[in-house]
Amino acid sequence: MEGEADGSDSAADVSALGKKHLAMLERLSNRHQSRPDKSGSPPPAASFESTSSFLSLFNESRMSIESRLAQCRLADRSLLQLNFDEISASIANLEKLVAESSYYLPPYEVRSSLKTISDLKQALDNLSSELIPKKKFSFKNKPARKEPTAPSSKGAEADGHGSRPAAKAGSLAVAVPDSPGFRNRANEVLAKDVRGLEVGEFTLSDLESCEVRLIGCTRALFVHRLRNCRVYAGPVTGSVLIEEAEDCVFLLASHQIRIHNAKASDFYLRVRSRPIIEDCTGARFAPYRLNYRGIEQDLEDAALGEETGNWSKVDDFKWLRAAQSPNWSVLPENERIGTVDISELSA
Amino acid sequence: MGLLSIIRKIKRKEKEMRILMVGLDNSGKTTIVLKINGEDTSVISPTLGFNIKTITYQKYVQLMFCGRYTLNIWDVGGQKTIRSYWRNYFEQTDGLIWVVDSSDLRRLDDCKMELDNLLKEERLSGASLLIFANKQDIKGALTPAEIAKVLNLEAMDKTRHWKIVGCSAYTGEGLLEGFDWLVQDIASRIYMLE
Repeated sequence: MEGEADGSDSAADVSALGKKHLAMLERLSNRHQSRPDKSGSPPPAASFESTSSFLSLFNESRMSIESRLAQCRLADRSLLQLNFDEISASIANLEKLVAESSYYLPPYEVRSSLKTISDLKQALDNLSSELIPKKKFSFKNKPARKEPTAPSSKGAEADGHGSRPAAKAGSLAVAVPDSPGFRNRANEVLAKDVRGLEVGEFTLSDLESCEVRLIGCTRALFVHRLRNCRVYAGPVTGSVLIEEAEDCVFLLASHQIRIHNAKASDFYLRVRSRPIIEDCTGARFAPYRLNYRGIEQDLEDAALGEETGNWSKVDDFKWLRAAQSPNWSVLPENERIGTVDISELSA
Repeated sequence: MGLLSIIRKIKRKEKEMRILMVGLDNSGKTTIVLKINGEDTSVISPTLGFNIKTITYQKYVQLMFCGRYTLNIWDVGGQKTIRSYWRNYFEQTDGLIWVVDSSDLRRLDDCKMELDNLLKEERLSGASLLIFANKQDIKGALTPAEIAKVLNLEAMDKTRHWKIVGCSAYTGEGLLEGFDWLVQDIASRIYMLE
């Protein structure tokens, strides 16, 4: 509290007044010392809080901003955006100066300064819309979203470099390189070893009756619309998001796991936090049982080396009460699968 | 050194801001709050309900001013089931932080829809809006500019103060830049004319 930049003696005054009793005692005992202190503090405060010094500072900044605005017309086009950003920052600083000073300025000065600032902003806006024409953006292809299993994308190579489903490109309207993943497949074994590949997110979507084997660490895993699939995946250092899975088996290790709209699926998990389900029925949980050569090291690197026991601490957002949720259960031991080894099956 | 100067100084000292932090589930809201507060982010469960964090935010700005603010950050869970409860937290919100998972391309439409709904809310009409394009550290994440396009931020009501900042709650990058802007923007609105 005493460490403020604008004069520690004045700050001390305030704290003293805040705690009246303490202050009185202090002042009584230090009467001789406090007097020169007190008489010494108003001048700096006055010089700091004077209207005229504010006005000169304000006008100086205003003029510099105006001259920079004028220069923008002559500036190199490629630097325009940079210039505008700088000017915008200066205006923001000016605005802050007014805000900080508003409590001692006469109302007229506050109003006129605010007016000046809004004029400056307007001038900047006008200039930037004049010099940098805005790109139009629209969601034209939105209806295409309804056909995610369009035949064109069905044959596309889903692994790594295939095209994003037509729907995605349409609704996003920004060109993005496709993220790694498997999409729109049926009755296949899909294997991928991502070790050494610097994979960020990995996506599994629209798969039917497939087996997915994913070796190595990923940062995020998105799962969407899977039916009758088995997903065996190495550790995920961020989060896993599963939406719409039916009759599936998942073996997953992750920091966070969210499961939405899953039906009749089994989840063998190792997770650092509590897994959550929402709009699920018949979800069953058991501990992680995956093996491949080097999985111990991968788990260790992902800070998932030890069993946390969280696999059974499921939060059901559709069942916010103390009693056990009817939407999930612990998978009885005699129905659990044995350890799955995918060492030999990496593609 | 009269009463007035005392009031001024007290006023300058106790600046409180109420900040509401929302966004879809899995966008990293809780991680952002913990990270900016310097806490451990390695074990975070999806938020069932909400967390409140009070942090003191001190920032030396140009000139001789020293801004010191108390931020009350309300981090409200983003699962679909509990999004309808967001409205219980709208009252007296000075700043709104909308967090986007920039790597979750599929749900950006959901994200846009929820944000649009939020911005229609009258009780939030005066709040400064900071959009965090989170998870920039993940390979394949959209850039803040791309997120701005998808969310069509340019079309927002002209009276709204807003800014989009790319960040990574995982590394901490961009978080201070975002909060700096938000705090300064709120300060320039609410501590200006009183």
